[in-house]
Amino acid sequence: MELVIHEIKKNFGEKTVLKGISFRAVGGKAIGLLGRNGAGKTTTIRILMDVFPADGGEILLDGQPIDYEKVQIGYLPEERGLYPKKKIIDQLVYFAQLKGMGKKEAVRAVDYWLGHLGMAEYRNKRLDTLSKGNQQKIQLITALVHDPQIVVLDEPFSGLDPVNAMLLKDVVKEEIAKGKIVLFSSHQMNYIEEFCDHIAILNNGEIVLQGNLNEIKRSHARDSLVVRSDKNAVIKRDFADCCVENDKEELIIRLKAPEDKQSVMRQLVENYDVDEIRVYEPSLNDIFVEYAGK
Amino acid sequence: MKQFLIILKFELQHYFKNKIFAGITIFLVLAIGVVMFFPRISGLFKNESESTEPEQREVMLVAAETPEEGEVLEQVFGAAFEDYNVQATTEGVEAIKEQILSGEAECAFVITGDMSYTYYVNNLSMYDNNTSIADELFQNIYRMSAMVEKGIAPMEAGSILSVQIEHEVESLGKDQMQNFFYTYIMIFALYMVILLYGQMVATNVATEKSSRAMELLITSAKPSSMMFGKVIGSGLAGLTQLVLVFGASILFYNMNAGYWGDNYMIKSIFNVPPHLLGYMLIFFILGFFIYAFLYGAIGSTTSKVEDINTSVMPLTFLFIAAFVIVVVSMSSGTMDNIAMKICSFIPFTSPIAMFTRIAMSTVPIYEIIISIAILIISVFGIGVLSAKIYRVGVLLYGTTPKVGTILKAMKNA
Repeated sequence: MELVIHEIKKNFGEKTVLKGISFRAVGGKAIGLLGRNGAGKTTTIRILMDVFPADGGEILLDGQPIDYEKVQIGYLPEERGLYPKKKIIDQLVYFAQLKGMGKKEAVRAVDYWLGHLGMAEYRNKRLDTLSKGNQQKIQLITALVHDPQIVVLDEPFSGLDPVNAMLLKDVVKEEIAKGKIVLFSSHQMNYIEEFCDHIAILNNGEIVLQGNLNEIKRSHARDSLVVRSDKNAVIKRDFADCCVENDKEELIIRLKAPEDKQSVMRQLVENYDVDEIRVYEPSLNDIFVEYAGK
Repeated sequence: MKQFLIILKFELQHYFKNKIFAGITIFLVLAIGVVMFFPRISGLFKNESESTEPEQREVMLVAAETPEEGEVLEQVFGAAFEDYNVQATTEGVEAIKEQILSGEAECAFVITGDMSYTYYVNNLSMYDNNTSIADELFQNIYRMSAMVEKGIAPMEAGSILSVQIEHEVESLGKDQMQNFFYTYIMIFALYMVILLYGQMVATNVATEKSSRAMELLITSAKPSSMMFGKVIGSGLAGLTQLVLVFGASILFYNMNAGYWGDNYMIKSIFNVPPHLLGYMLIFFILGFFIYAFLYGAIGSTTSKVEDINTSVMPLTFLFIAAFVIVVVSMSSGTMDNIAMKICSFIPFTSPIAMFTRIAMSTVPIYEIIISIAILIISVFGIGVLSAKIYRVGVLLYGTTPKVGTILKAMKNA
């Protein structure tokens, strides 16, 4: 299964929100959609979910224009919220039915998911009697109960305690393992790094960077070294023009050219009491700030 | 279509499972039941008191100068006040007052002149009409003695005074006296249900938006299904309540019709011609849709439930204005004035204006057809327009948008 978003454009009045977004996602892999607030992520997701049409471009599933009658999409919106005063079972079944499930089938699926997430005891409770984390889990069920081929998760981990985050991670991994297309949108880079093989960074309605995360990291200029030592002060003095200290008390030494790597490493090992030297690889956070911060 | 039915069912359950909705409906039906059964129940007690001996009736005292006069007064007053045990007394006013205060007597008449008397009573009840009976009594006595003085025989004078006039009224159009009450009740019910359930649509939409359930809904269902499901669900709930309350009233009345006897008001209320109930249904459905669609559209543009009241105010005022025009025309008795005629063809006012005219005056059938046709066309037009507003409205968050913003968004969507 392959989802291709091709040159999607969208204007709201005078304001251009999307200037031709293209990226692709494949089944069994998760893709991270990154961008600052207002970059166009939600608009992209809404167009993908057929809330409103794009002004231009197309969405293809396995080479064919996507047919919303046949394709099921599950969505966990960033702005969470269901009916606070209604019974959990009632509203979950309602949403499952809206997604095209029959009543009995919906009840069965909801019960399965309530059990799977350890929420069976809340089946007949009102939503507003649950803690925030548990409400999140209920919301997650609305995204997965109809067994969608495409799962869109917008900030799925925000507000979850570590135990619930772990549970959610397992669920997401299950969905990926089932061969589904998982679209992740988050500002918590560590989760993106954990799940997503591919990323696409949106900035001002454009994709500014996309591809395989490891390749992106590796393709970055390997022109810095990370040094851990007890003699930071001495090294800093000697490399004053190209050395900064990060928050882990490591020194980042920027090389004049990548080819200098060997010679500078040798120089450091011979002259100072160094515990560790490695080539600096940018974190996703660094990449994000570099591309989305412009 | 399937989605629409799922939403409709969900919305209906929202009302029927709601304790307040069920509570109010049951309360209304019970209240009507109590009112309708009241004469039957109070009749049970009354029968007991009527079967008591004359000695056990309330005591009415009549002050007399001498025992002989007392005998005459006892006879005259006894005939006029059959419900009382009339006793003449020669004791003074103070003794009479004491007897009333101590509860030995219920009330007393003290004659102070040829044409004046004082009525003493412990607690003056709202329904105490003893003085008017006494007034008539004194008048008759005075007229009688005056006629006898002029040489007319007492028998003849008596028959002149007790002459009865018979009359009949035949209204060739509608009898406004008779249909005023039921028309008033019906338009008030129309007004309440349209306003309440219309506003409920707005509140429900805004609640979904403010709780952010909308985020999920817009990706799960078509906005048109959502809106029509809500509006029709709400309308059916309102209709159910209306039918239950009206049905219960009619049923309870028929069960107790005999006990109400000749109560003019109650009788005229339940003398509704069946075709009027049919018109009420038509105007309720069409009027409800017009308002509920607009309320839904307004609700969709509001992000917070708190803002709903301000946003719907213009629409609510429009309907209140229509109601006021109709009620004023009703009480002035000129149902076919120019304002009413205009109002009965404007879709926002015609549901109650035309209905009232049909109920209280004679409207040519072509006018009714034109009015209903305009309403039906408007329902479709406003339905389509509201669905469009709804589509863009549900996506707009933040402060309530200006009309211009909505129009712009509709053009772009």
